[in-house]
Amino acid sequence: MCCSSSIARDKVTMGEPEAFDISTVKGLKFFDPHVHMTSRTTDDYQAMAEAGVVGLIEPAFWLGQPRTGLDSFRDYYSSLVGWERFRSSQFGIKHYCTIGLNSREANNESLAEQVMEILPLFIYKEGVVGIGEIGFDDQTAAEEKYYRLQLELAKEAGLPVQVHTPHRDKKKGTQRSMDIALEHGLDPYSVIIDHNNEETVKEVLDRGFWAAFTIYPFTKMGNERMVEIVKQYGAERIMVNSAADWGISDPLAVPKTAALMKLRGLSDEEIELVTYRNAITAFAQSGQLDEADFNAQVDLTEKFEGNTILRGGQQPKPDKSSIIIS
Amino acid sequence: MSSDDMKAVKEIIWSVVKNNISLETEKWLEDFIQSTNQSAQLAKVFVMLPRKTGKLPVTINDEQQKALDAAGFGYIRNWTIDRLTRVWLLFNLNLGDKELLFSGIDRLFLSAEVNEAVALYSALPFLAHPEIWVKRCAEGIRSNIGSVLEAIMENNPYAAANLDEAAWNQLVLKAFFTEKNIKHIVGLDERANLQLALTLVDYAKERWAAGREVNPQLWRLVSKFINAEIFEDLKTGLQHYNQTEQRAIALAVAGSDYPQAKDFINTFPELKLALADGSLNWNSI
Repeated sequence: MCCSSSIARDKVTMGEPEAFDISTVKGLKFFDPHVHMTSRTTDDYQAMAEAGVVGLIEPAFWLGQPRTGLDSFRDYYSSLVGWERFRSSQFGIKHYCTIGLNSREANNESLAEQVMEILPLFIYKEGVVGIGEIGFDDQTAAEEKYYRLQLELAKEAGLPVQVHTPHRDKKKGTQRSMDIALEHGLDPYSVIIDHNNEETVKEVLDRGFWAAFTIYPFTKMGNERMVEIVKQYGAERIMVNSAADWGISDPLAVPKTAALMKLRGLSDEEIELVTYRNAITAFAQSGQLDEADFNAQVDLTEKFEGNTILRGGQQPKPDKSSIIIS
Repeated sequence: MSSDDMKAVKEIIWSVVKNNISLETEKWLEDFIQSTNQSAQLAKVFVMLPRKTGKLPVTINDEQQKALDAAGFGYIRNWTIDRLTRVWLLFNLNLGDKELLFSGIDRLFLSAEVNEAVALYSALPFLAHPEIWVKRCAEGIRSNIGSVLEAIMENNPYAAANLDEAAWNQLVLKAFFTEKNIKHIVGLDERANLQLALTLVDYAKERWAAGREVNPQLWRLVSKFINAEIFEDLKTGLQHYNQTEQRAIALAVAGSDYPQAKDFINTFPELKLALADGSLNWNSI
């Protein structure tokens, strides 16, 4: 997530995009282990489903600006296991989430204390596959304090941890995140270190952690760089995600990366591991994620607390090219 | 700055404000300032203020500009009248003691829309008890909203004067990340430090690995801290074909106390020449 990247200038350095040919990955299944669907539209859900995304994980994060009270947190966590999960199911995509206090808002200590008290109400819920996304942003003392407390929570609950690594001072922040996780006795195999890049990947893999990569335009990884990383390090314990949110991001980042990997000659097995299997293996350690639950038949008449995403008479897939909205 | 100096600044700002608003609005502001119950009205007055002042860029006469330049606040010529008037309003608040001042203004921060937030952060250098706003300022640096970040980072002396090293370093790093105008950061050179230099070198390496350019101003903050380890990274940067970056690294080396690096730069005839003729400086890069 970022704010003021200059799109025009980055286009100069990045070049004109090749068209994404969805047929390249036809028949493949994808799992996006980090995507903030509450910030996305139904068009995104439809496009993801059409591109083969069958499951996703929505980590709890901040909303672009800080919350000022506990109830905002409670309602947000409730929406992740409630309304958003239902919304996703309407498109045939199995929705999981990780629950945690994000690093930025950990800096509001009086509120953070209250949030810590309600976390146990949510982390044992069905479909909560980890504690996340937690870790460092500015790398302050308050961030460290709540990161440590939530690692303890994860240990107690037997849940994997989804670790957000900082944009700024990333290398040191990533090392420090791993050091602290080990210090608390977590098995690196239960910890997913997210937002890696060329500078961090080696150490993350060498120390036995999962290395997740966010394919996000301008500010994080591009998928061409991602292809090179898989060529260099192999597919073991590596996964990609979109981290699509309210910034300029791409909810099709996982299928697009798979397509590019295929075009650049990586094997089907490597593609499957990086864009599907590894994430499932890592988060299934929660006991809350079962592939057998994917592809449940979409019941468009189902309702959540009396609400449905389908308004009276609406077709499940409207014709977007038509001027008529009926 | 002494309290007499601040009083003088307050008067110049008021004279600028008056020149840019109607008599009716002037009266409205004076009524608020003279009120014995400012805290009850503050939120309403602060929020509705642009309806009274308009939102045009301020016009400042030469005499006012000169006085503001001398006090270090010349940059307000780029503000709009609502921003300036809001800052003036906060500057003039009389809510009683420190706690009341804090709670009154903190309430404004908690519900601020973007323009309000910009004015609130712009007002930090003018508020009494600067120490009570340190956390708020550090929180502001976490914002993702460009204009709010600019209000804190660019032409605002509050941060350099009040933030601890960790928060200061975060400000500078984030300014690079969000492509702010680094040259407008007040206190940039004075607050350079080793920790920041090391972090910035890591950042440069990350950009290189991603095939991206590095803002040449980054090397300005590394200059004083060049050591054997950093020197190795500088050598990598000098191998790149980006001339601006090479020149920035040369300039950083020239300002360092690391003779080996200076000797190495002298092996690049073009850089040696540019340093010798004095045409290179941080403003020209």
